[in-house]
Amino acid sequence: MATPTVARCWRCQDEHRPQVFCPACEALQPLPPDIDYFTLFGLARHPRLDEQALAQTYYELSRQLHPDLHQTGTAQEREASLQNTALVNRAYRTLRDPVQRGRYWLALNGEPLGKENNKVPPALALFVFEVQEKLAAVREARPAETEGTQDALAGLRAEMTQVRDDLDDRMRDLQHRLAANFSKWGQADGSSALLSELKRVLSEMAYLRTLTRDVEKALSIL
Amino acid sequence: MAYTERVVEHYERPRNVGSFAAEEGNVGTGVVGAPECGDVMKLQLKINPQTEVIEDAKFKTFGCGSAIASSSYVTELVKGKTVAEAGAIKNTEIVTELALPPVKIHCSVLAEDAIKAAVADWRDRAEGAGAPKKDAA
Ligand code: FES
Ligand SMILES: [Zn+2]
Repeated sequence: MATPTVARCWRCQDEHRPQVFCPACEALQPLPPDIDYFTLFGLARHPRLDEQALAQTYYELSRQLHPDLHQTGTAQEREASLQNTALVNRAYRTLRDPVQRGRYWLALNGEPLGKENNKVPPALALFVFEVQEKLAAVREARPAETEGTQDALAGLRAEMTQVRDDLDDRMRDLQHRLAANFSKWGQADGSSALLSELKRVLSEMAYLRTLTRDVEKALSIL
Repeated sequence: MAYTERVVEHYERPRNVGSFAAEEGNVGTGVVGAPECGDVMKLQLKINPQTEVIEDAKFKTFGCGSAIASSSYVTELVKGKTVAEAGAIKNTEIVTELALPPVKIHCSVLAEDAIKAAVADWRDRAEGAGAPKKDAA
């Protein structure tokens, strides 16, 4: 995912760092498809970013790239406007969401989340299976057939609500740890420790998100 | 996502769902997860310590249909195999059997990893003297 550092303008041949418009002649440029998303938005390559600046640049770029504006341009410019728009949208969706951004950051650093990462920490696995057993019990309770046993249903509902709140708390805690990890990048301490911590946090978030989804589903049938 | 017939078949009638009783010996347990999608899989193998043949297998998978089908299929596949043979099973075998599309390949990798983790766990326990550890989760 290394971003080429030099691009050449298709119109005036000027050489410059990859960007949407040629700084010399202002022609719309096809962006290298593997340009890194931070560079694309003119941001420093760092997982902690200024979300307001990101949004602002995004809207600005979207406006400048809008295919309507380039209808009368050359074929290259019309094509570039379409492709850049798609790329900019994808990049924005990735960077504005801390979880997606974190995963992208891992990939940029050559450590995609799924790489050699199939171990679920035992305590987490225990928790996941415990909750899933409860969910199985909910499904078996078959609310439709347990009419008249309102107390039992209310009990299950209370228990599930408790589990959901617990999951929400854990998720909030993980969000804080994610933000804390982002802030530490670029400081003196070795990035390999930060990488593995980032992997741990994002993995746990993924497992808990799946679990939350299943809990919500169970709550909806209770 | 449209599932293939064989996936649906395993998904609707999963084989060998469950776990072995905690006090049952000679069981190796593998718990693995796919952090991209948050799915988790637990595979347990009951192994004859003399012959190293897998006599029974059970699974619990919380995840997509392909992951459930992969683990269900694997429990059938490993029975009667030695741990060495089971450890050599490649996910491509699962992909072919279930006709999994490219986006579902990681689900079959999860099942392959689960076998390896279960075998490793069984070896750990066997080496840790005859006394199996209590916590099987
Ligand atoms: S989608 Fe992740 S295991 Fe199937
Ligand atoms: Zn130019």
